[in-house]
Amino acid sequence: MIQRATSFWMFLAIAAGIGLFILKYEVKSMEGKLAKIHEKTLNNLEATHVLKAEWSYLNQPSQLEDFGRRLLNLQPVEASQTIPIETIPLRPIQKSSEGTHPPAADQVPPQFAKIRREQ
Amino acid sequence: MIGRHPLFHKKRRREPPVSSNMETGRSRLLIAGAIFSAAFIVVTGRLIGVTMFVEKSQPQYSRSSSKAILNISRANIVDRHGNLLATNLKTSSLYANPRIILDAREATKKLTSVLPSLDRHSIYQKLTQDRPFTWIKRHLTPRQKYEINMLGIPGLDFQTEERRVYLNAALASHILGHTDIDNKGLAGIERHMDTFLRKNKEPLELSIDIRIQHILRKELGSAISEFKGIGGAGIVMNVRSGEVIGIVSLPDFDPNIPANIEANTLFNRATLGVYEMGSTFKIFTTAMALDTDRISIRDRYDATHPIRISRFIIRDYHAQKRWLSIPEIFMYSSNIGSAKMALDVGIARQRAFLQKIGILHPSPVEISEIGLPLIPSRWREINAMTISYGHGLSISPMQLVSGVAAMVNGGVYHAPTFLKKSVKTNEKGRRVITKRTSHQVRRLLRLVVTSGTGRKAAAEGYIVGGKTGTAERVVGKKYKKKALISSFIGAFPMNAPQYAVFAMIEEPSGTKKTHGFATGGWVAAPVIGKVIKRIAPLLGIPAVDEKTAKIERQLAIDLIPKKKGKSRLASF
Repeated sequence: MIQRATSFWMFLAIAAGIGLFILKYEVKSMEGKLAKIHEKTLNNLEATHVLKAEWSYLNQPSQLEDFGRRLLNLQPVEASQTIPIETIPLRPIQKSSEGTHPPAADQVPPQFAKIRREQ
Repeated sequence: MIGRHPLFHKKRRREPPVSSNMETGRSRLLIAGAIFSAAFIVVTGRLIGVTMFVEKSQPQYSRSSSKAILNISRANIVDRHGNLLATNLKTSSLYANPRIILDAREATKKLTSVLPSLDRHSIYQKLTQDRPFTWIKRHLTPRQKYEINMLGIPGLDFQTEERRVYLNAALASHILGHTDIDNKGLAGIERHMDTFLRKNKEPLELSIDIRIQHILRKELGSAISEFKGIGGAGIVMNVRSGEVIGIVSLPDFDPNIPANIEANTLFNRATLGVYEMGSTFKIFTTAMALDTDRISIRDRYDATHPIRISRFIIRDYHAQKRWLSIPEIFMYSSNIGSAKMALDVGIARQRAFLQKIGILHPSPVEISEIGLPLIPSRWREINAMTISYGHGLSISPMQLVSGVAAMVNGGVYHAPTFLKKSVKTNEKGRRVITKRTSHQVRRLLRLVVTSGTGRKAAAEGYIVGGKTGTAERVVGKKYKKKALISSFIGAFPMNAPQYAVFAMIEEPSGTKKTHGFATGGWVAAPVIGKVIKRIAPLLGIPAVDEKTAKIERQLAIDLIPKKKGKSRLASF
């Protein structure tokens, strides 16, 4: 009777020991993975940081202005080139015998034409 | 009684020495058992505590060693739209342990071949010292680091450091300032906000817009070179919040290379320099006069003769030699009329008024270079008269702009700031003049641009208003002839002003195009016009037809108001 109990406890202790051993190594390897991921993230963060700095450096207004003038032939906007939105007239309503109807398909910009087809 | 009971006697007599020993043994066992179980309970408790609860003092080895957070020792500085202005980048710095260096002569030779800027002699001395650490060169480029690694000299090593980088070079140099090699702020925002930048992780948001800053710097710079000025300053400010959108002082410097900064470029003309501002002060004098109950826009002053007071003579530059209405005094920039107006208001009230709009205090902006205004120690009649047209009192351009902003925005003073205000903070500001006076000042400023000295500041569609200022520079105790400070303070759109724009050019000389003139109207006003034309679309201000009846009605002013008031005779 005593022997049976002892062997049970011994078995339990060995099983716990093995379980703990496996768990420990699993945790260790997972921690290693985590550290690697963190390291990668950090590297990426650093790279993004440098890229952001570079982006700002390349986007200096003086440089953009120079590019715009030289390569795109752009100039600063003049007041005469702008009009207030209220002055743009609405599209005239086309009247026919049946009353108002929407413009024909070939008169509609493609993005709207698609919507209509779906209807 | 009990002791004498036969039963007890009997027991005592029966006690054998063996059983007494047993008793002692048993009690000792009990005590030992109790101690051991107490100890085990403590151990168990501690075990549970350590395994199940986290204590604060306990260092978290496993976590702190790998955490994906980018640590930079100084917060970034960004503009109002989030564009990076200053950040820290990692660099490598080279150091040596002279005790390990085997052949200092050979090492010196190799090092100077890769880094030619190093001095051979001083490097040799550094490498032969008897100490374990000495810097060789800090902040190397990746290529230099690679080449040094390829040399393979034992005793040399790298330390990863951070370096402050200003991505727009000189663009916002005076406001950002710069840092020393250990990233300690030496000037500008970097110095004023040093502890904030060290402690905070979040970027510091400035009120500056780099696009506006660039346009202002470029236009001011081309005006300075056109008129051969020695320097200048420019400011764009949101009159409704006090936020400074752009601020430039020229010449400026590249904060990336602190060693190469020339001392004279460090001087911030926009906030540290104090100048006699000249006629732009007439905005304050007129607003102050109109804000009293006694003086109205319909009053007139005698500007027929120059004023003689003690040994001074006050003359008009564009002399009309007759009685002038207040709009005329403003338009022709009459010193005589302004002086008389100031005396009418009174010395004490003038001083109190200037105090209210921040002229007598240093500007409260967030950089360390702020000039103290030069105020007369005794405010006498002659001081009141000269101050009325901007002489005898020196202030920084920043003070002038924030003062004028309060005159045109409906009469509320907002302290100027370089930090972005969040949309939610709805600061009320401080009322300094009535809404009505502010409306009158707007009309007067518009008049100067439509038909006065500031016509060159016009930007069709954006309803510009403003005032020119030309002052002779004080050198020592005398005015230096021909050394002018020409400025213009404008605001737009004048029917509901949103932004104030200021430009100042120091010691310009006239050109053929300006017929030899170098006054504010010829030199500084065109800068304002060009700047407004370019920044208004960026600031989202629509161009309008200036000739519509509604706008004309909002800004119309009679040069000689019809309803004739009493003529004023000044006291002398």
